[in-house]
Amino acid sequence: MIPTIAATALGRRYRDQVALDNISLALEPGTVTGLLGRNGAGKTTLMRIITGQEFPTTGDIRVFGEKPAENDAVLRRMIFVREEQSYPDLRVEAAIRVASWFYPNWDDQLATQLLADFSIPRRRRIKKLSRGMRSAVGIVIGLAARAELTLFDEPYAGLDPVARQVFYDRLLGEIAEFPRTVLLSTHLVDEVADLLEHIVMLDQGRVVLDAPADDIRGKAVTVKGQASVVDEFVAGRAVWHRQRLGGRAAVTVPGPFDDLAQARARAMHLSLEPLSLQQLLVHASGISEQEKVSA
Amino acid sequence: MKTLVNVARFHLVDRVTYAALPWGVLAFTFVVNLVIAAIVPTQNGYYTGAVSSFYFILLAAGSISLTRGLPFGMMLGVSRRSYYLGTSLLVVLLCAGYSLALAMLEGLERTTAGWGNQVHFFRVSWLLAGPWYETWLTSFVLLVCFWLYGMWCGLVYRRWSLPGLTVFFIAQGLTVLIAVIAVWLSHSWSDVGTFFSSPTALVLTGILAAAAAVFGVGGYTTLRRTTV
Repeated sequence: MIPTIAATALGRRYRDQVALDNISLALEPGTVTGLLGRNGAGKTTLMRIITGQEFPTTGDIRVFGEKPAENDAVLRRMIFVREEQSYPDLRVEAAIRVASWFYPNWDDQLATQLLADFSIPRRRRIKKLSRGMRSAVGIVIGLAARAELTLFDEPYAGLDPVARQVFYDRLLGEIAEFPRTVLLSTHLVDEVADLLEHIVMLDQGRVVLDAPADDIRGKAVTVKGQASVVDEFVAGRAVWHRQRLGGRAAVTVPGPFDDLAQARARAMHLSLEPLSLQQLLVHASGISEQEKVSA
Repeated sequence: MKTLVNVARFHLVDRVTYAALPWGVLAFTFVVNLVIAAIVPTQNGYYTGAVSSFYFILLAAGSISLTRGLPFGMMLGVSRRSYYLGTSLLVVLLCAGYSLALAMLEGLERTTAGWGNQVHFFRVSWLLAGPWYETWLTSFVLLVCFWLYGMWCGLVYRRWSLPGLTVFFIAQGLTVLIAVIAVWLSHSWSDVGTFFSSPTALVLTGILAAAAAVFGVGGYTTLRRTTV
């Protein structure tokens, strides 16, 4: 099967700044992938190269098996909603109408429904909308287009939690009804954790993590309990993080933990808490706090 | 082709810039000129040249037509090439229609003996003064020329901002300067004079068409390097 997106040794350099450094990855059709990373990690640059808005300095990018830049056959199969997407001076309904011309699978009913969900006034000019509503317009267009490859780059600047939940619910429903490949970049990792099937994490232009979300979820746990017992339990494992308070300790170690290990933990009166995706990513980007030892 | 038509339709959503503004300004300057001609007596008819306002409005429209909608177009999976060709399709169609209208108005101006007061608003001596189809053609080429030039300026600004645009204008100034020096060194001022005075406006139309082609290719080349 041809991957929907395939990058090989992809690089992008701006003068003396490296935005993307030797990126290689492959995204399978029909998956929802989270593109995660800190500000300036290269997420937007990667998405712009995938959609032909930007050109790579080195390496190769293929979308649907072809080079995307200036390739109408490939480009018309995707939609890319950017953070702070800029629109010409149009009314909401005009922008929606224009977008509908470009996508054969466009769903007008869905667009209408989403506009209502987000309470966007159809007649208002986009530039008169609040930041959150402007973001919502991008989400409406991105979902209603039903493009085979849908890219969202931090699509919810200024959106309130309720509206974000609407977005997640609609995205889930839409993918179930009309499967497509989705690449979503976000900082709100734990909010979208359940949506994601695959995780790609960038740090300073490099891929630091590229794995199915399920593999990552059980990847590390925090073991809590009496300090000496915890130390006995985690002996032989790499310690990511250690925190001590009086006689108690909380130590984060990578998994896996099989049934036997879990039974042993129970017997030793230790609690095992799996790390959330967000905590894992913080560790993956190497910014974990230094060992804190008090007392 | 469908994509190109869609791009052209996308531009036309903004009717103010492409229809109301140029014709509104033209109507306004026309009325102003009629009033002035009525108040100020003239000997050999009143030539205004104010129809040029229409051309300059289209130049301004051109400078924003491509860049303003580009991020939205690219969001919707339109390539730069399709976006440029679709916009050019709009330019050609609109200019064909608008120049025909201008030629008709020029004809009307003639039959009414200058709106009953010897006002030559749509008629421009030598340039737009031939038979209606010549006026149409010259006017069409001139409009396309203005629009594509504006579009190229807009793209240069988008790609390299103000410093780039400044360099762009300086380069044009230098080109003219070099041409003038070349003519001066070869003592061929009289040839140039003959060239521009003897032939019909159609020759100039041909030169303008070549210029429009240069502007078009220049704009497209600039767009190919533009990122959003």
